[in-house]
Amino acid sequence: MKRLALLALFATSLHAQTQIRPEITKQQAATIVRIAVPRPETTLPLDAIEAPFFGPLTRDLAASGVFAIAPIPPNIPPNADLAKAAGADFVLALRITPDAQDDIVEARLVDPTGATQFGRRYRGTPAALSRMAHMLANDLVREMTGKTGIFLSQIAFASNRSGYYEIWLMDWDGSNQRQITNHRALAILPSWSPDNDRMVYTLFSGGRSEMYIINRRGGGRIHVQTGVGLNVSATFSPMSNDIAFVGSIAGNPDIYVVRDDSTNLRRLTTSYSIESTPEWSPNGRQISFTSGRSGTPQIYLMDAEGTNVQRLSFEGEWNDDATWSPSGEEVAYTSRVNGRFQIRIANVITRQSRIIAGEGSNEQPAWSPDGRWIAFQSNRSGRWQIYRMRTDGTDPSQLTFAGENKEPDWSKKSE
Amino acid sequence: MIETMNKVVKGFCVGLIVIAAALVPACRSKKAPPAPKVAPTETTASVPNVPTVATTTETRVTNPPDFVQTQTTPQVTVEQLPTDVEELNRVAEQRGYLQDAFYAYDESTLTPDAQAALTASATWLKQNSQYNMLIEGHCDERGTEQYNLALGDRRANSAKEYIVALGIDANRIRTVSYGEERPFDPGHDEAAWAKNRRAHLVIVGK
Repeated sequence: MKRLALLALFATSLHAQTQIRPEITKQQAATIVRIAVPRPETTLPLDAIEAPFFGPLTRDLAASGVFAIAPIPPNIPPNADLAKAAGADFVLALRITPDAQDDIVEARLVDPTGATQFGRRYRGTPAALSRMAHMLANDLVREMTGKTGIFLSQIAFASNRSGYYEIWLMDWDGSNQRQITNHRALAILPSWSPDNDRMVYTLFSGGRSEMYIINRRGGGRIHVQTGVGLNVSATFSPMSNDIAFVGSIAGNPDIYVVRDDSTNLRRLTTSYSIESTPEWSPNGRQISFTSGRSGTPQIYLMDAEGTNVQRLSFEGEWNDDATWSPSGEEVAYTSRVNGRFQIRIANVITRQSRIIAGEGSNEQPAWSPDGRWIAFQSNRSGRWQIYRMRTDGTDPSQLTFAGENKEPDWSKKSE
Repeated sequence: MIETMNKVVKGFCVGLIVIAAALVPACRSKKAPPAPKVAPTETTASVPNVPTVATTTETRVTNPPDFVQTQTTPQVTVEQLPTDVEELNRVAEQRGYLQDAFYAYDESTLTPDAQAALTASATWLKQNSQYNMLIEGHCDERGTEQYNLALGDRRANSAKEYIVALGIDANRIRTVSYGEERPFDPGHDEAAWAKNRRAHLVIVGK
């Protein structure tokens, strides 16, 4: 980044601009962009924008892994002088202007030469201010890395805080927690569709367990009829309308696939052992699952047609909950180590794995759409709660506090 | 290299557009109100060769539809009163007509004790053919939830198979697995776990 700043200072703006993207993309993991974020210029009262806009924006940027927020010296307008004075690569100049029913947010990224590297205007009602903050943070991360941020992603989970386990949603940072089913029974194991519009989950009711799909655009809930028992651990294919799940005939749980319109049921595994917990690879070509065929629950991979089964996990006597990183290079799963469950991440090709150790039992990992974070459930507080940490185990934070909460599934997109 | 070239061209085009927009205000979209200037004036107006990207695109932001279902019907609180079948289950459990089968850790095979319990239950079912049965498979908390849902299914079905082998019509018995979702004993020791590894027999109406 130093080199970048120097370029920006001494080369022409043309030069700086042509250099910026390739430079950053190459080193995105190692590069931190220092950014000064003064409070927005606005005629609105400060507290009308602090909690809904400025707070979320600065929290997003600080957690992005891309930006570091530079402390701001006083009394300098948000321009190149401020970037220089703060030793920042950029100043994020913000202006919020009320316009009829709307608020207009203007954002410019100004470098120390005074050149604007990014400019965008967002318009929406005051109720959409938080969304504008997250969109801006997403756009800024994409500007630097080529990949959009995760600040509009959401985490689905099961919570019993209403007295029954129901499906709930929260924003990526744990805010805005809301209940989206109301069965007053036992609704668990939510899983997002790849387009973020639908969710499939299992409802236990009347002595049966069945899969249901709900759509955020309405239309009621759709019962996925399979004709087999169990109907748990449902997960949408990233490439088609298929749903992989665990079904059972006469006490033999296997991996099945069914179309979302309840047609075209296929059984993928035929072993007499217990098979559970399927998850598609991001390109839809492979499915990971858990099998007891070796005597203990272990992680296996197979092609999406059920052929070419290979064992992935060899360490530990109980492994489950495998889930693929967005790049498809790694699989995270729950692995018992010294009597406690921990999150393990294994490389799919080399089979090398590492444990991300934490307090308590830690289960059911879920990758963020950018592959930088893992949400999981832990009983470290004495009750099951959902946490989030970076994939190297740093920055853990607790996201849920009321009741017991489990089975996080992170939306595949951030929108 | 090509990407870089593209960027230059793109940046230049955007620059042109911005300049054009600044010179010909009438060209602006009529929808957009006179928006405050975003790009520094000196950049847009007088320095045509500096491709400063003042790409101020406006994005209309609205909150998208959410999964939250709006409550349209008035809320009614309903309280269940015990039905005859629930009462019957209480009595059957107290008097030992129906006995649950218990399992070893991560096992679904029936121990001699489990077989004896299921034999007693089958006898009652034979004498009370007006009732059907639901067998719930349960697990202790030590495994993982998803694998235990499958293990509970296997337990419930091992109990069902045994009862069917004793002459009860398979159509009278349904199974469901709760895995570790509904423990009988909330404790975290072997005494609690042993109680939670079971096939639980429930009488249901025809």
